[in-house]
Amino acid sequence: MKRTIVLMGPQHPALPEPLVLDLVLEDERVVDAIPTIGYVHRGLEAMVEKVEFTEFGMVAERICGICSFMHGMGYAMAVEDLMKVEIPERARGLRLVWAELSRIHSHLLWLGLAADAFGFENLFMHCWRIREQILDIFERTTGGRIIFSVNRIGGVKRDIDDNTLAGIVAKLGEVEESFVGAARVFTEDPSIRHRLRGLGVLTREDAIAADAVGPMARASGLPIDVRASGPLYQGLEVEPVVEVEGDCLARCLVRVREIPRSIGLIRQLVARMPRGSHPVDVPVKGLPKGETFIRLEQPRGEVVYYLKANGTRLLERFRARTPTFANIPAMIKLVKGCELADVPNIILTIDPCISCTER
Amino acid sequence: MDSVVFLDKVRGYQRDGWRLALVNATSVLPSPEMPDGAVDVSWSFEKGGQLEHLRERVTSEDEVPSVSDVFGSAFLYENELRELFGVRVTGLNVDFKGALYRAQERVPFSPRAIRARLDAKGKKS
Repeated sequence: MKRTIVLMGPQHPALPEPLVLDLVLEDERVVDAIPTIGYVHRGLEAMVEKVEFTEFGMVAERICGICSFMHGMGYAMAVEDLMKVEIPERARGLRLVWAELSRIHSHLLWLGLAADAFGFENLFMHCWRIREQILDIFERTTGGRIIFSVNRIGGVKRDIDDNTLAGIVAKLGEVEESFVGAARVFTEDPSIRHRLRGLGVLTREDAIAADAVGPMARASGLPIDVRASGPLYQGLEVEPVVEVEGDCLARCLVRVREIPRSIGLIRQLVARMPRGSHPVDVPVKGLPKGETFIRLEQPRGEVVYYLKANGTRLLERFRARTPTFANIPAMIKLVKGCELADVPNIILTIDPCISCTER
Repeated sequence: MDSVVFLDKVRGYQRDGWRLALVNATSVLPSPEMPDGAVDVSWSFEKGGQLEHLRERVTSEDEVPSVSDVFGSAFLYENELRELFGVRVTGLNVDFKGALYRAQERVPFSPRAIRARLDAKGKKS
């Protein structure tokens, strides 16, 4: 059969960021997909050559606008690990509160984009209206809505007083309530189920073979979640949200179900936070030396940071292996065999972040 | 590096249920002992929250065998090693032939490229 190559991207209505897929077609069926990235490669990792380690957190935060806080947190944790710095308990709790808020806002953003892609514009607006409340919390507690610059090596730059924390918990109660309706549409609406069910199936075996991470892996039955296996959330009840169908609907449902779970985690964190006035950072002296690997569970899945320092103010190497980078092989696997018209929806359900991927 | 021994170790990780979490490279700047510098390449595997690493120091003359036949997801890391660090990876299952990234500078993170940038800025590494 004659083969046709259709270029998808770098600009496409379903892609918020530039990515090219060379889709090899037989009739309307995709038989191969070759990704090309590099349109937003900024060489951020190479900036360790000229930005001192005390300032580099600002660069790490700018890898991505959605996972910005987590990149800053991961970088700070890596330096703290190298310098054997123990941060105050309250700072650890605050970081995790902002991290879980980041997850909620990321998932709501994605759910909105997904709703828009499959033609539910009101649902898109509803998700983003709810998300706005999370951004308001960020603004109130950090001064920023996207880039917060609230992490510092040794803790965080700002405290959140107990009254504000109680207010955040109350606000999240409202968020949870207003999300119930949207969640019901994603879960039960027949058109959405018809559009997404059985589409872009990644089996458990395929997910293992492709080293998939995050909601992508969990939707295929793999309970992979750094929060559950790592030390950072120790003492908190973290149970990975898992679906088994492995299709576009399952990936959507994992994110829908993770929003209330993150709200629950924030409630746990606030309840355990030491009350009253406590330090939120410790003074850090000296220069980092050695190397370390730090893993975090970002909204899109596991991120791995590698840091190498030689005892000077400039790091030798900073590396961030982001979840989208890890999920590209799985995405290629998904696209092969599907109809051309389904490609945008399938790609969207991995929640691709090309800025993260290219750095 | 001994390709056979290295690939055996990688297969061992795959057999034991580890997943490939990261392939990373760090340039070692040129020095009188190593005029062309080198690249430290590490392969990180994860299982149950634990990370283990394999590491090799390679020069521009060395060939590094692809692990993409064992871990299918390795091809992106390996294309990146080639394009950004100039590591000679052989036997990739998906070879972008230098077209994965669209970097203006050829092998921008190679030891020589980093050295040149640092020298140009008058900084000591």
